[in-house]
Formats: sequence, C-alpha cells, structure tokens
Amino acid sequence: MGSSIGKRRLARRAAAVFPAVLATGCTGPQSALDPAGREAETVAHLFWVMTIGGAVIWVAVLALAVYAGGLKRQPVSEAFAFRLIVWCGAAIPTVILAALLVYGLYLMPELRPWTREAAAEPGLKGHVTGEQFWWRVRYDLPEGAVESANEILVPVGRPVHLTLTSPDVIHSFWVPALAGKMDLIPGRTNRITFTATKPGVYRGVCAEFCGESHALMALTVRAVEPEEHARLIAAEARPAAVTAGAGLDLFIAKGCAACHTIRGTPAAGTVGPDLTHVGSRPTLAAATLPNDQAARERFLRHPDAVKPGIRMPAYDMLPPAEIETLARFLGDLT
Amino acid sequence: MILTLRRAVLAVVVLAAGGLLFAWSGLFNVAASTGHWPVTAWFLHWVMQNSVGTYAMLTVESPPDLDDPALLPAAAGHYATGCAYCHAAPGEPQGDVANAMTPPPPRLVDWLPHTDWSDKELHRIVEHGVKYSGMPAWPSLLRPDEVWGMVAFLRRLPEMDPATYRTLAYGEGETPPTSANPDFDAALADCARCHGVDGAGRSTVIPVIGGQKQPYLAATLRAYAEGHRASGIMQLAATKTTAPVLDLLAAHYAAARPAAASAPAGEGAPDPEMLAQGEAIATRGVPNRGVPACLACHGVDRPEAAHVPHIEGQHAAYLDRQLHLFREEERGGSPYWKVMAVAVHEIEDDEIAAVAAWFARQPRFGAPGTAAAEPAPEAGG
Repeated sequence: MGSSIGKRRLARRAAAVFPAVLATGCTGPQSALDPAGREAETVAHLFWVMTIGGAVIWVAVLALAVYAGGLKRQPVSEAFAFRLIVWCGAAIPTVILAALLVYGLYLMPELRPWTREAAAEPGLKGHVTGEQFWWRVRYDLPEGAVESANEILVPVGRPVHLTLTSPDVIHSFWVPALAGKMDLIPGRTNRITFTATKPGVYRGVCAEFCGESHALMALTVRAVEPEEHARLIAAEARPAAVTAGAGLDLFIAKGCAACHTIRGTPAAGTVGPDLTHVGSRPTLAAATLPNDQAARERFLRHPDAVKPGIRMPAYDMLPPAEIETLARFLGDLT
Repeated sequence: MILTLRRAVLAVVVLAAGGLLFAWSGLFNVAASTGHWPVTAWFLHWVMQNSVGTYAMLTVESPPDLDDPALLPAAAGHYATGCAYCHAAPGEPQGDVANAMTPPPPRLVDWLPHTDWSDKELHRIVEHGVKYSGMPAWPSLLRPDEVWGMVAFLRRLPEMDPATYRTLAYGEGETPPTSANPDFDAALADCARCHGVDGAGRSTVIPVIGGQKQPYLAATLRAYAEGHRASGIMQLAATKTTAPVLDLLAAHYAAARPAAASAPAGEGAPDPEMLAQGEAIATRGVPNRGVPACLACHGVDRPEAAHVPHIEGQHAAYLDRQLHLFREEERGGSPYWKVMAVAVHEIEDDEIAAVAAWFARQPRFGAPGTAAAEPAPEAGG
C-alpha cells in the first residue's frame, strides 16, 4: 500500500488545521480518528476529505448568500436565470457528487481488503461469534483451534482474517481504531480483514442494537509485535494454569462447568465464554468491568445487575467465602 | 302524582340514604345460623354459576387427558387433607362445623351427579374458589396441572366406593415404622400416603424421593413451607408440621431405598428417535440456544452438587412438568432454582418430552446397587 503514507500525511495535515481543543476527544483506544490500522486509516482519510470538502462547500454557499444579499434588487434576464439554474443547480452539483462517488468507489477496495489479494495474504485467521452480550473468539491456528472470549490478540503488520457470525440476533463488530464495521448475522458468515499498524490496546463495541445490554457488549483487541504475539497465542493455547483445588471443585459442584470450559479440567461447557485464561484478560464481562477480585465477586453474585438480560444466573445464594474462593480461582487462571 | 325528573332523583336519594341508614343501624343480620332466604340463595347461586361459566370459557385452557389414573392418588390425598372435611368423601361424613356454614358446602358424592359443570368450570371453581361461600382458592395459582388432577378425581368421586377412596387417599395400607418422636411419625405417615414410606411415589406425577440428596430434600421442604416453591398440595402438606420435623423427613427419605420399580404404568416405551434426542440433550445440551448438558450437573457421579437433585430414573411425567415450570420461571424451590431456570430458558416442548423420557429410562437413583445408593465419596476431583 504505497499510497497509505501520502494519505496518512494528508490526514495529519488535515488534523493540524482543526483546532486542538476540538480534537482532544478524538484520540484514545476507541476512535476512528486516531487510526492504528490500515483500514482505519482509509476510513479516517475518507472522513477528513469529506469533512474538508463539506466545509469548503458550506463556506462557498454562505459567501454566495451574503454576496447575493448585498446586490441591488433588480430583475435579471431570462438567459441569466437559465444559466444560473443549469450551472449552479445541475452541472456543478453533478460534477461534485460524481467526483465524490468516484473517490468513494476508488477507496472501496481498500476498505474491503477481504475482496482483494489481501485476503490471500498469510496472517492470523480466526472466527468471532457475537452472542447476547459477549464475543466468542476462536483462533484457527495451524496446530488447531483455540477458544477465548472478549479479547483478540493480533500481530502488528500482519493481516487478521476473521469470519463473523451470530447464533441469536444481528450484532456488528466494530473496532474503530483498526477497521470499519461488519455485521454478524444469524445464518450467514461475513468476513473482515484488518491490519494493525501500531502496538496498543484498542476497544471494540457491538455497533448494532442487540438487546438490553447492547451498550455493555465490548471487547479489547491487543496488537503486539509478531514475536510477542506468537508467545501470547502459545500461552492462550495451553491448558489452564490451575487444574485442581478448592476453587475448581466449587466451580464444578456449583454447576459453572455446565456452561464454561476450563481446558485441562473436566469443565467443558460450551454455552458461555471459555474461561481457561480468564485471569489474563484485561477486562471482565465483555469489557464491562475491570478484571479484579472485587469485580469478579460482584459479577458472580449479581451478573444481572452488571449486565441486564445476561444469560448467566446469579449466584448470590453462595456463602461469601465460596464466592471469594471462586473469584480468586478465576483470577488465578492466567 | 306526576313523575318528574326532580321527584325521581329525590326518590333515588331517599332510597340510597335509607339503605345506608339500615346498614349503619346493624339491623341486617349477617349470622350464618339463620341461613339465606330461598330467593337470596337462588340469586347468589345464579350469579355464581354465571360467573364460573363465563370465566371458565375465557380463562381456562383445555384439559389434559383426565382419564389418566396417575392423576388420582395425589388429588385424592389432597382431597382427604383439604376438602373432605367440608365436602364429605365415600365412607366419610361431613364435619359438624361444615353443616353449620351458610351456604352449607355440598356433599359432593351426592351433589355432583345432579350438576352439569363442565371440566373447565370445575377447574375454575377448584382453582379460584368462590367468594362469600367459604370455598377457598387453590393454595398456588401457578399449578393448574394439580387442579386438573383434582378435576379428574371429582369426575370419578360419585361412583367411587369407600375402599377405593381409602386406598387412593391413604395409601396401600402399609404401616409406617414408629420412632420416639410422635410428631415425626405423624408427619411421615402423612407423606407416605402419596410418596410411600420408601419414597417410591404412588404415581407418575408424584416424584421418587427415596434416595434423593438430603440437602436438596431439606431445602425443597423448606421452600414449600415458606411459599418459595409452587404447589397447592405440597405447600399445604409442608406447613402442617415444624421445621425440625421437615429436616427429619428429608433425612428419612434420603436414607430410604425404594425397591427398583418396574416401568410405571402410563410410561410405555418411547420411540428410539425421541430417546436419542433426549440423550443428546442430556449429554451435550442445545448449545446454540444456551441449554447446557443436563449431566454436567445432574450426572450420577456428582454427590458434591448437594442442591442438584438426582433425576436419573425419575418419572417422565414429573420431569416434564417441572421443566415446563422452570422454563416459565414459575417453579421456585431452593435458591438454586434460578440457575436451572436460566439453563432451560430456551428449551422447546419436544426437547422437554425427549429429555424427560430419556432420564426416566436410566437406572434409578437410590435403588440398591446404583452409584447413588453408596455413601457419597469425597467431593472434588
């Protein structure tokens, strides 16, 4: 992508003309205006071109209106009126709209890399399922599939190819800093490809209303250098760090294992998120809570208070000591 | 005298004031001892019949198969506890207090053949009771299935001979063992009328409880007594004794070892396809609709899951009904019931039937020689 450097420079220059005070809200881990991926850069580029173009037209129209307001009132000739309507009413808008259309069509392959040769580029392959109200993540590695949830580990500079679907309702996968949106539709498999360009932790959201806790259905994407990525994925593929003890016994006795898998233990449920390495994830409950002991205890007791409409039953009938043991056990699953 | 609007209004006002004055004076006699005038009795009964007919048409769903004999023992047992005192029973007279009521409750054995209540109308009366008559509602409005059992029993009541009634309502004549605790002995005799002394259950709608986990039984009895699990029959039964006795009953039935029953009546062999579907749900669940595998918690090797009942070998009709109650979030029970309600929230009717049929055909818990009959091994693993 040779042109991306030039586009980036243009985007940077465009950003510079914008008052800094307006732009402070536009950076951070979840901003399409602070791109950290090739596709997101194209989106940002398109945004700035459209914004600047729109601003120029707006200024021109206002200037014309002010100028016309100052003219002496007198009838114009029929020929002048005809020329005004043809040029300003038809010709110029057609040219401008056609130019924007051509420009948009020209950008389209860049925004949809899975339709081009990029789809064939080797990279990380995976599958994401949007479920009310969390993300099931599966890495399709040469050695086999590895399941995780609510966090995607991606290598910087290499394409990530994801297939997307949903078992319940329509969701939309959107990590603004890395790429555009793509819907997850029951009964259909969509694809998205993106390439992170900067290491960092980016936040993604569900961008299609999917139910009570739609606003609490988020995920984190951690982009790291390829060597680090290989190390993290290998760790993700390993069985759980804790495969015995009071915590696991409770986990199985209280029915948690009916819905959750902890690889390396008898817990093999597939209804809810895989918890094999839940302790290593930065957040809890689909990027809703910090992943600390207090939050884990609160979530076990009252998941429905944290996320209305959640499928996880409340375990507020467990004695506090058991909740604490369970929460500590989950934290130890690094 | 000419009728004018002014005079008409005045007359209405005077009548209303007179009526209020009469009510205030206390001269109207509400005593039950004097009975109703015939015209009052006729009018009240007429209003009741109309109301029952209309509400039965509007609110009562179609009955299940009321010829199923499995419905009778639990209904007869409950009739003996809650109904026979006022309404009499084959071989049993009405209580004296009942005869002093206004209106006097009918002796159903004689009265029912002279009425033309439909099944739905009887259901309406039994479930909701009748105002101003002393007829109470069913203790739980979440269990129309139990009320249908009572309707089935009422249909057979007029032709029932005293011996049949006694067997249905009081059990097969087994004598419960006696202990040093007369309260416990009395309560156990009461339970045994439907559940048997060994907890095998006398019909397919009465669960097997002999050999069930003790913490589950104790929590369930407490839930019935405190109104946290819906059942007109069991809520009444559990409030007839005290909390310590309920715990003794739980311990008794947990230790009981019912004889391995042959396939109970009314549970013929389901077709193999249905059993295969049931086994798939039991072992794998329905993951795409969020239904986990039943055996993840209900497996026979799960003694550490103290609040999760054994269901292997349980009656299919009982399991089917409970699964529906769980799915509709009406079941109640120990605080763990909500976990189950979430688990089966998206299960479908045919899946319920299949999984209930499959579990009913597994080797029964608590029967001699099964894993659950042995002492619980160390939790963990």
